[in-house]
Amino acid sequence: MKHRPFVLVLLAVTLTACASHHRPPALSRAAGEEGGGSGHRSASSRATQPLDGSDVQVLRDEGTSGQDFPLSEPSGEGGPLADIHFDYDRAVLTDEARAALEKHALWLQSHREAKVTVEGHCDERGTTEYNLALGEQRARAAQEYLVSLGVAGARLRTVSYGKERLLDTTGTEQARAKNRRAHFAVSR
Amino acid sequence: MQTVLRNDLEFEGLFQFVPENLLAALPAQNPDAPNFTDWQGIGSKYLVVTRAELSGGDLTVEVRVFFVDSGQTILAKRYSGKADNPRIFAHQASDDIMTLTQYRGVARTRIAFTSDRDAGADRKGVKELYIADYDGFNPRRVTVNGSLNILPAWSPDGRSLAYVSYRQDRTPMIFLAHIFEGRSIANLTGEKNNNQAFAPSFSPDGKRIAYASNRAGNMDVWVANADGSSPRRLTSGASQETAPCWSPTGQEIAFTSDRTGSPQIYLMDADGLNVRRLTTVGSYNDAPAWNPSKQFSEIAYTARLEAGGFDIAVIDLASRQVRQLTQGRGSCEYPSWAPNGRHLVFSCERGRKWDITVSDREGRVLRPLSTGPGNNVQPDWGP
Repeated sequence: MKHRPFVLVLLAVTLTACASHHRPPALSRAAGEEGGGSGHRSASSRATQPLDGSDVQVLRDEGTSGQDFPLSEPSGEGGPLADIHFDYDRAVLTDEARAALEKHALWLQSHREAKVTVEGHCDERGTTEYNLALGEQRARAAQEYLVSLGVAGARLRTVSYGKERLLDTTGTEQARAKNRRAHFAVSR
Repeated sequence: MQTVLRNDLEFEGLFQFVPENLLAALPAQNPDAPNFTDWQGIGSKYLVVTRAELSGGDLTVEVRVFFVDSGQTILAKRYSGKADNPRIFAHQASDDIMTLTQYRGVARTRIAFTSDRDAGADRKGVKELYIADYDGFNPRRVTVNGSLNILPAWSPDGRSLAYVSYRQDRTPMIFLAHIFEGRSIANLTGEKNNNQAFAPSFSPDGKRIAYASNRAGNMDVWVANADGSSPRRLTSGASQETAPCWSPTGQEIAFTSDRTGSPQIYLMDADGLNVRRLTTVGSYNDAPAWNPSKQFSEIAYTARLEAGGFDIAVIDLASRQVRQLTQGRGSCEYPSWAPNGRHLVFSCERGRKWDITVSDREGRVLRPLSTGPGNNVQPDWGP
């Protein structure tokens, strides 16, 4: 049973995730809930009590952060969100993958214009067709976890590449581990 | 032309050729009036005489087959056409000579496949579709869109290829290329909301297309009309179903499902009912290909029989006996049958390069096809 406390400096909220309970950490609503589709406005109003107009605190308008962020190349490599990796023939998120996705969720909450195509990839072992199904399961596992962390489903889509786009074709164990990935292609 | 014809007939494995040393012992022959006693003397049963005439850019080829014992002409054909691809004359002659047997020849059939040969530093991840003659010669590129194009499947009339392209929104969808018209139809099955479709397969009558789609939430086998209309889901549940292929009658469909935790091959009626598991040996079986000949009731597939590598196996549908076609060749996958069911192609990895390999039904004679550079995979043997 290991606990992984980490500090999310960006939003100045401290979260504790229990890695072995496969449950997403509950993000504070003030930290940018967006799942309802009504955007930051409802989140902001819920975070504050109804007031008579004389005692309103200043909230940052998170919807207009407007900062530029690097995009992923169309080749399906690079970009601001690191790949997550999977065990051979599995689409289950590892603890490391969950930790990475939790960071990705926070990044997505501070970059609200970003849209993400979650690409599921496999290593070269296994058959073409089954790897396309497996890649889809991997992409979907990542997508579902991001949604459970509060990222709007409408900003995410999945694509399976199976084993059709290997990052590393050298065939070593290390190369295979690198190829078994979900890649996050970010666009505006 | 004679060499090509000889290779074609040798490939079928139904003819024995008189050895060179016996031919050398023959007295000189007049091709118009062979001395059948001489031919009988060296043990030949049939005599094939070819004559070719080039006039301008046109080629005329005559082929005559004699029954040596009686001296009777049993086949006489004259072919004429443009001389730019003389191989086609030999292929045509081979197929005509094959009509003397109980099997349809395959010398004029073609193989579609996927290759990265036109990828490059600035075209990373590009795969296009190609077709080649059955012997690997005459490769031609089909798609030119610079995207990822995979899983070609011939229509039974040999005029179209269904395939999967990531060209539109970088989402895999089924396309239909009319290869002799140079046009293709995008998103044939009408996927919406970024749903994906894979693994198209035409029914033997060409009227329907089976494929895999995640339209209903996860990957299932679907069937639509050949124009993509009226898509209907055949499988359900949380497991992944993919890789559909039709029985020669069009009444059944084989497919892959991981419902027991690992991919195995199942059969169902073409309406989705009567699902039963086919493969029980091995922990990973995929890519079923039903022998199109009603004479051979069997399905080829990709099997992980030993830890690590993949091999081509064939299961007899009556006895459920499995025979392994490849062994110790590195990984082989994606089998596809010749239209007469006597040979099959698949792709094998050797020395980190994938190439298309052809084999007879028993896996006795295996040879790689020289289709060209790059990794050449996902062969589909067409009509």
